[in-house]
Amino acid sequence: MSFSTYKTPSGFLLPSIHSAPPFFTQQPNAATQVVFTEQWTRLILAYARYRRLFTVRVEDAEVSGGEWDEVLRNPRINRRLMPGQLAHILSVMVSENLAMYEPAKQTRATLLYWRLPEEWAEVLYEWQVVNTGQLNTILTFYEISEPPVPSELSGIPQSLLRSAIAVLVKGGRAQLISISDGDGVRFFPRNAK
Amino acid sequence: MHRHRLGGVGLAALQRQQESLKSFDALSNQLSNAQVDNLHAQLYQFRAALTRFATHHRADIRSDPRFRHAFQQMCASIGVDPLAGPRRGGWWEETLGLGDWQSELGVQIVDVCVSTRPRNGGFIELSELVRLVSRLRGLQGGAITEEDVVRSIQALKPLGAGYEVLDFGDGSRKIVRSVPKELDEDQMVVLAVASEQKGRINEDLLIHGKGWTAERATVVLQNMLLRDGTCWLDKQDGPDGTGWAYWVPAAMQWDD
Repeated sequence: MSFSTYKTPSGFLLPSIHSAPPFFTQQPNAATQVVFTEQWTRLILAYARYRRLFTVRVEDAEVSGGEWDEVLRNPRINRRLMPGQLAHILSVMVSENLAMYEPAKQTRATLLYWRLPEEWAEVLYEWQVVNTGQLNTILTFYEISEPPVPSELSGIPQSLLRSAIAVLVKGGRAQLISISDGDGVRFFPRNAK
Repeated sequence: MHRHRLGGVGLAALQRQQESLKSFDALSNQLSNAQVDNLHAQLYQFRAALTRFATHHRADIRSDPRFRHAFQQMCASIGVDPLAGPRRGGWWEETLGLGDWQSELGVQIVDVCVSTRPRNGGFIELSELVRLVSRLRGLQGGAITEEDVVRSIQALKPLGAGYEVLDFGDGSRKIVRSVPKELDEDQMVVLAVASEQKGRINEDLLIHGKGWTAERATVVLQNMLLRDGTCWLDKQDGPDGTGWAYWVPAAMQWDD
């Protein structure tokens, strides 16, 4: 037996460290734990990007059957990530601005930044230009996160969308507006400041 | 008053003596010059022959590990070390381009050691190192052997990076250390036992397999785990998934 990569049913390639039993235990050696946390962080973000998952919860390590099973469990070696270790990993990710507790004031659920709000802002701006073919248009949040034609932004959580728009507002490229059926955003051409 | 015809006293005798000394000197100079010239000529010939050989077989030396081994044996038997690089601008380097070859291999060894350090704590089995370096070099890099890697690591020594080849204790396997950590005898035993278990180790394997006391086993494993970071903890071992086991990453074989 050697430690090797594994392709999950969903087609994601797990790194070889995922086939090592101790990877699923919180390490008492701080330096080792730092390395493990880095590897878990990279793995969680890569998988989230691959499956377009926006959130991960400590609960995902507690009960099986969720969308995180392929990563948080390894039935081939009969190991699963302990909830305490996942909570630790998430706290490190939050401190490194790779995730955000959502909702705020709790530590059991996080929004994952496999794209930073700044990167989402660019995606949103480009999509909006291509999609509408013009600027100075108004789009509702719903039109952005649930577009008729699936896009990069399909399913984006409101809070993440809000952060992305905030970046555009700051750069003078968008304006947050209130419309009858909720929030909306108006986009400006790039040079309009 | 005559004593000796040549070695007499007086000014004339002194002069004679000095002259003969001079001519002895001259003769001896002549002789040693001839010897030195002769040696130079021999060295020149030898050098030319070796150069011819080396240039002619450069590709073989660089790409074929068996040929390289034979060439090194030959050079060692006459007391020269063509691969004792990297020396910038040396004759061997110019002639063979082997200085480059050796430096390149050294860089690749460091690359593998550093990039695998997070998961092996700075200890890697020599065979595993050779495997990973070979993969890094790709096919056109030419095959390399454990001997090449060991020589390269010795060449790295002046850099003071602390790279060292250690014996496992069972005569055949070797381990390369790329961190300035000492492995004591007990840790070497742990490494050897873990290596037979694909990396897994626990107190029982040491108590029953090596006749250690429980205390000795615990102390070594705890030191490796907590102090040195050379082994990892698994708390989901055993049939019920709650046992404890230790894993020595340096003894685990990784496929990527």
